[in-house]
Amino acid sequence: MRLIGVVTLFAALCLSQPAQAQSARITGTIRTADGGAPIVGADVEVVGGTFRRISPTRDDGRYTIAVEPGTYSVRAKRIGFAADSVRNIVVAAGATVTVDLALKPTAVQVLGVTVVGYGTQDVRDNTGSVKAVTAKDFNPGRVVSAEQLIQAKVPGVQVIDNNEPGGGISIRIRGGTSVNASNEPLYVVDGVPLNIGGGLSSGRNPLNFLNPNDISEITVLKDASATAIYGSRGANGVLLITTKQGSSREPAFSVSSNYSGSSVINRPDMLSAAQFRAAVTQYAPANVALLGSSNTNWLDRVLRSSGGAEHNMAVSGVRDDMRYRLSMGVLSQDGVLLGTGTKRLTTSASYTDLLLRDRLELRANFKGTRNDDNYTPGGVLGSAVAMDPTQAPITGGTYFQWANPLGANNPLADLAQIKDEGSTFRSVGNVEAKWFFTEWVDGLSATTRFGYDYATSTRTTFSPSTAQADIESARGGRLDRNTPRQVNTVFEMFGNYNRKYEQFQSVFDVTAGYTYEQQKGDYQSFFAERLATDLLGPNGLPSAQTTVNSLSVDEAKLISFFGRANWTFKDKYLFTASVRRDGSSRFGAGNEWGLFPAFAAAWRLIDEPMFANVASLSDLKLRFSWGVNGNQSFGNYLYVPTYTPGGQQASYQFGNQFVTTLRPSAVDPNIKWEQTTSTNFGIDYGFLNDRITGTLDYYTKTTDDLIFSVPVPAGTTTGNFVTTNIGSMKNTGIELGISAVILNGGNSGWNYEAGFAISNNQNEITAISANGSDRITTGSIGLGDRVQILQPGSALNTFFLYQHKKGASGTALPIDMYVDQNNDGVINQDDLVASKNPAPRWIIGHTSSARYKNWDFSATARMYLGNYVYNGVASGNGYYQALTGAALTNLHASVLKNGFVTRQAFSDIYLEDASFFRLDNISASYTFRALRGVRSLRVFGTIQNVFTSTGYSGVDPLAGLSGIDGNLFPLSRTITAGLNIGF
Amino acid sequence: MNRTLRTTLVATAALLVGAACTDPSVAPKSTINSETVFSEPSAYRALIAKVYAGLAVTGQTGPFGNSDIVTNDEGFSQYMRLYWQMQTLPTDDAVIAWGDQALSELNTQIWSSANGFLGAMYYRIYFQVAMANVFLRETTNAKLDARGVSGALRTEIATYRAEARFLRAFSYYHGMDLFGSIPLVDENASVSQPPAQATRQQIYDFVVAELTAIRSSLPTTAAAQYGRVSQGTVAMLLAKIYLNAGVYTGTTRYAEALTEVNTVIGGSYTIDANYRRLFSVDNNASPEMIWAIPQDGVRMKNYGGTTFLVHANVGGPMAGSDFGINGGWWGLRMRQQTRNLFPSIGASAADGRARFWVNMNDSVITNMSDFQQGTGVPKFTNKTSAGANGQDLEFADTDMPVFRLADAYLMYAELAMRGVAGATPAQALIYVNALRARAYGNATGNIVLATLTLPFVLDERGRELYMEGHRRQDLIRFGLFTGGTKLWTFKGGPVGGQSTAAFRNLYPLPASELIANKRLTQNTGY
Repeated sequence: MRLIGVVTLFAALCLSQPAQAQSARITGTIRTADGGAPIVGADVEVVGGTFRRISPTRDDGRYTIAVEPGTYSVRAKRIGFAADSVRNIVVAAGATVTVDLALKPTAVQVLGVTVVGYGTQDVRDNTGSVKAVTAKDFNPGRVVSAEQLIQAKVPGVQVIDNNEPGGGISIRIRGGTSVNASNEPLYVVDGVPLNIGGGLSSGRNPLNFLNPNDISEITVLKDASATAIYGSRGANGVLLITTKQGSSREPAFSVSSNYSGSSVINRPDMLSAAQFRAAVTQYAPANVALLGSSNTNWLDRVLRSSGGAEHNMAVSGVRDDMRYRLSMGVLSQDGVLLGTGTKRLTTSASYTDLLLRDRLELRANFKGTRNDDNYTPGGVLGSAVAMDPTQAPITGGTYFQWANPLGANNPLADLAQIKDEGSTFRSVGNVEAKWFFTEWVDGLSATTRFGYDYATSTRTTFSPSTAQADIESARGGRLDRNTPRQVNTVFEMFGNYNRKYEQFQSVFDVTAGYTYEQQKGDYQSFFAERLATDLLGPNGLPSAQTTVNSLSVDEAKLISFFGRANWTFKDKYLFTASVRRDGSSRFGAGNEWGLFPAFAAAWRLIDEPMFANVASLSDLKLRFSWGVNGNQSFGNYLYVPTYTPGGQQASYQFGNQFVTTLRPSAVDPNIKWEQTTSTNFGIDYGFLNDRITGTLDYYTKTTDDLIFSVPVPAGTTTGNFVTTNIGSMKNTGIELGISAVILNGGNSGWNYEAGFAISNNQNEITAISANGSDRITTGSIGLGDRVQILQPGSALNTFFLYQHKKGASGTALPIDMYVDQNNDGVINQDDLVASKNPAPRWIIGHTSSARYKNWDFSATARMYLGNYVYNGVASGNGYYQALTGAALTNLHASVLKNGFVTRQAFSDIYLEDASFFRLDNISASYTFRALRGVRSLRVFGTIQNVFTSTGYSGVDPLAGLSGIDGNLFPLSRTITAGLNIGF
Repeated sequence: MNRTLRTTLVATAALLVGAACTDPSVAPKSTINSETVFSEPSAYRALIAKVYAGLAVTGQTGPFGNSDIVTNDEGFSQYMRLYWQMQTLPTDDAVIAWGDQALSELNTQIWSSANGFLGAMYYRIYFQVAMANVFLRETTNAKLDARGVSGALRTEIATYRAEARFLRAFSYYHGMDLFGSIPLVDENASVSQPPAQATRQQIYDFVVAELTAIRSSLPTTAAAQYGRVSQGTVAMLLAKIYLNAGVYTGTTRYAEALTEVNTVIGGSYTIDANYRRLFSVDNNASPEMIWAIPQDGVRMKNYGGTTFLVHANVGGPMAGSDFGINGGWWGLRMRQQTRNLFPSIGASAADGRARFWVNMNDSVITNMSDFQQGTGVPKFTNKTSAGANGQDLEFADTDMPVFRLADAYLMYAELAMRGVAGATPAQALIYVNALRARAYGNATGNIVLATLTLPFVLDERGRELYMEGHRRQDLIRFGLFTGGTKLWTFKGGPVGGQSTAAFRNLYPLPASELIANKRLTQNTGY
């Protein structure tokens, strides 16, 4: 049944004869008169005798109308432009006549086309909450990952960086909708959805393969009306990334180079050697003998100021109907932590062409990337934090090491001996063909798209027999190599019908299609220990006493049918309805299909006569949308009861034999989609001839059937946790975007534009039903302790702690510490208080850009208000008893203030307001004009992470996205200088 | 040309759609499906092996990875390690030096329901129960008939079923001993709602009934494969349960205990002439062992069991190489109260069981975290009794003794001292002196009948069975675990010890389980 619609469509195309026998045509491109940019969605009207036909222009401003031989007039119009026309066009039988028109803009208009799911749309016709950021507004400086380009640019979008070059970046659009499944948005690159997850990109950024220089636009789809076309993956929003294409007639070459330096500006606050000595003397006198006589700042020894360089080249152009762009980039960036660094080579090619008398549009994009990453051996940072500051790192060529194996290993020895490196090759590409059935059914087109995403990587860790961990464990040299590979393929086919019906004063834009996505992964690894020799290092496997090989394969499918209809009535009443039906392999029989509908309406008030005379108002549109999305980003096969065979090291002895075991898994066979229902009210506004423009949105998002791994009552299943649907959650928020041209001094004076992206989000769990319990503790801080809770009425990951009694000066009391909430004389779990949560109440992003003659200046800043963070670094290392072990461990400086002898992990003293203001970015550039032989030359300098103002005591107030800051990675500032040349 | 091309294009597209799949289901890869798993006859053996392996290893990868239960640390969560800690650390036997709060709570008897080790033990117990239930559900006559299982395999499965029921009873015995009143879930229980709490008496009745029912289905001691349970194991477990029945139900069952003890003693076990061998790599060959949980440095890697016992007892001046390991973990050592049960200790001690490490700073522990205080007790080693290293220097080969004959001898002596009809003091003296003669190497350590008293038996258990995970149960049976009658270092917190409340004879149900299962009521006092 599902197929019938699509098949009928194509069958009809096959069987019916074209309505017109001749093939004369009028074709052309409509451009703006001032800049020559193509105008999308202009109405082109061809009139001759009784013949009258109107067709909208396509994405590239082109139109084609089939006519009988005769004489015609051609007229083009578009809101915001003065109409233009040409008369007396004579068309002979079989001929194609080209009529290009240029329209003059009549007012400053928000003009432009944004990419939306499976198509494009004029901004003025958007009914949903969609925000596009184009290349000129991207954040400058050393941008390793594409997400950083839009940091602080879009209301309701958080971009959170882990401070490591190429490391993970998280994006949250309008708060999280899920507890356990991913909260990351769906990324769609040139129409191809990326599947993120699996073992491949774990800990690394999923967009590492993209060179930010190749990106022309990033569009954020926020509300359900915009994202529902992506169905089961749209719940967390969608980021549509469009890469650059050729645009100029002359081939344009561009070369850019920049260099950067980073330095550490904040790090974990540990005791100095003198403080540590005093602490040991007082609290662990038995261990005084273990103290050394040096003053070593271990963090200093593993950190550095690091440099980076980036070079990009591109050539692009347009020849006849063909557009092309080829680019190559190299990036080398070292991290501020010794041993970390990333090198990247990116190549990209894009091609677009119109063939067969403009009836076939071909597009192809290919990107290939190789990343070589160096990682700091696991534990170096942790060891540097924990190491006794009174010990000298090296004495007489010998590294200091604790005799006791429980002591931290010397991080400098680990850095020198252990190798941890990886390389990833990833290629993403797509080929698409779009057929215009212009002469046959005007406004009808069909698109077929094939896309692939291939990634393979190796990660090798080598530890010689001389490494301390190997000596202590007698592993005698280890080599661990993982070689995962993932291939995703996407096939999409959709038809579009876009036609204006003058008699109904309506434009219809209907899209319907089918997609098939398949993800295959194979994960191979081997592990060898007690290597016969260390000499091969990570580059070869000598004979080894123990070798463990493993292989696992998985596969996932997503099959979808989707449709969307846009109806524009009288140019001011806009309606959109869309639906997607998704079938996912991640759910069992009966649950694999999900239906995701959406509806939206908008009213262009500005086009009503009553607003025509309000001079100060230049744009006003009301929007409303409602829709349902899903989330399916969690592991494969969770619904299937499976049996896991035991490895050869985990068998059991029967007599003289070792028997391999089998273990049934704990599953919920009825696991189903998380569903998010959203509503959005919005206003788009413009004042003073659009010198001030912006949007205001109010939204609610309700997620049902939250997927979470919950503790199960003992005895009901093997294992004590199972992944299942447990509850509901609600997000409510307001977003305000303002962009204002404050100074408009033209080419000789000051120009200044300021933008604000302000958002407020409130989250609340509305229901939890986990095996009859409505409370689930979460937020593990190690040793089985969990400091957060999910419960109805509280925000997601609300902290669940004891209320610490404070002394007169506000310090925590070191004895009789906690408030006995229920006055039962005992401090136990009943006295924990659920309070505060990690999500910021307000996020304010600001962008300033100024121009004076040839100078450009810009700045980006962010402010979070009301976000709380549990300082896990302080709580885990901030008590004196830790000094009494067999090896000394440094303490967090918070111990000096708190004076805790034993670990007080549940004290709310560690819960801090992490509100902050951060100047993310300042940049200045100078453009040389009219240089001989050079089209343009621009030199620039940027400072990233200029300063942060916060009351939070940890390294980075942004470190605890989920509220628990266990981050040791230092915060750094980066200064970049470079130049761009075009010729 | 145009039309041909168009037709081709459209037809191709239509074909692609027609051929394209509308079925999103994918058969799981790299896992074994519940539908097909039993088409291989070896699956039954593999599944019963896992019920056993739940006591020995922690997950499906070894030594860590793919853990059976979710805890903060897979290595900590090994079944016998947890059980051993809970039976040993709060007593006068051993103390552990590590800084983990949950461990210092065990050292001092002042645990709360949030203690991670209690939670892990509880989930380990129910993992065993659930595994046994899965085995029993998958091997019903109806299912075996449906799969056409017959002949030798069918007979073998009947034995496996008895073993599954034994292992379930064994874990319920632990649950009853440690937590008291806990849910009783058998293979027929509905899993659609959280299980209800059973009384300690109900658990007791269930365990006794099960063990009685399966006894004849298990092989005799001589016929059983090493590592698997036999009729002798059932008798020893029943003896333990009857001996402690007064604690579990309020009604003593000493007569029944004596019957089972006599069955064990009358069986084919004999006292090993070499006490040290019982805790060495070759303890699998000891005729004294009633049941030991196998450990293997190559095929059964884990961080619990004897790997824990060997490593954690080594540290400070003790060289790992003396014990067949790569290094100590600086954890366990003996409190002075147990050390003082021996007249003298050290290499020259007349009582061979007291060959402790004496070169520590101080025999008196004042700082719980200082490993070098107290008495190093490297009872378990990863060397054979002849002195050769185990296969791996990190993971021990020495099997984990659960029950051995010497324990049954002392149980007989205890029953005789308790005046149970049929247990004679004269016979008790023979058994006790048999153990002491082994310890001294001659008759110089033998005692006379007048010396043999009930308190002496408890002390003798302390000497014979120290560091073997029996002490808490013994002290509770003697009424000395809590309260102020018997004090030891760190009991109740202070270095000198102090009285503790009687409710601590039971551990609290884990806090996380009270949240997960609303039908449970916490033990009194917590």
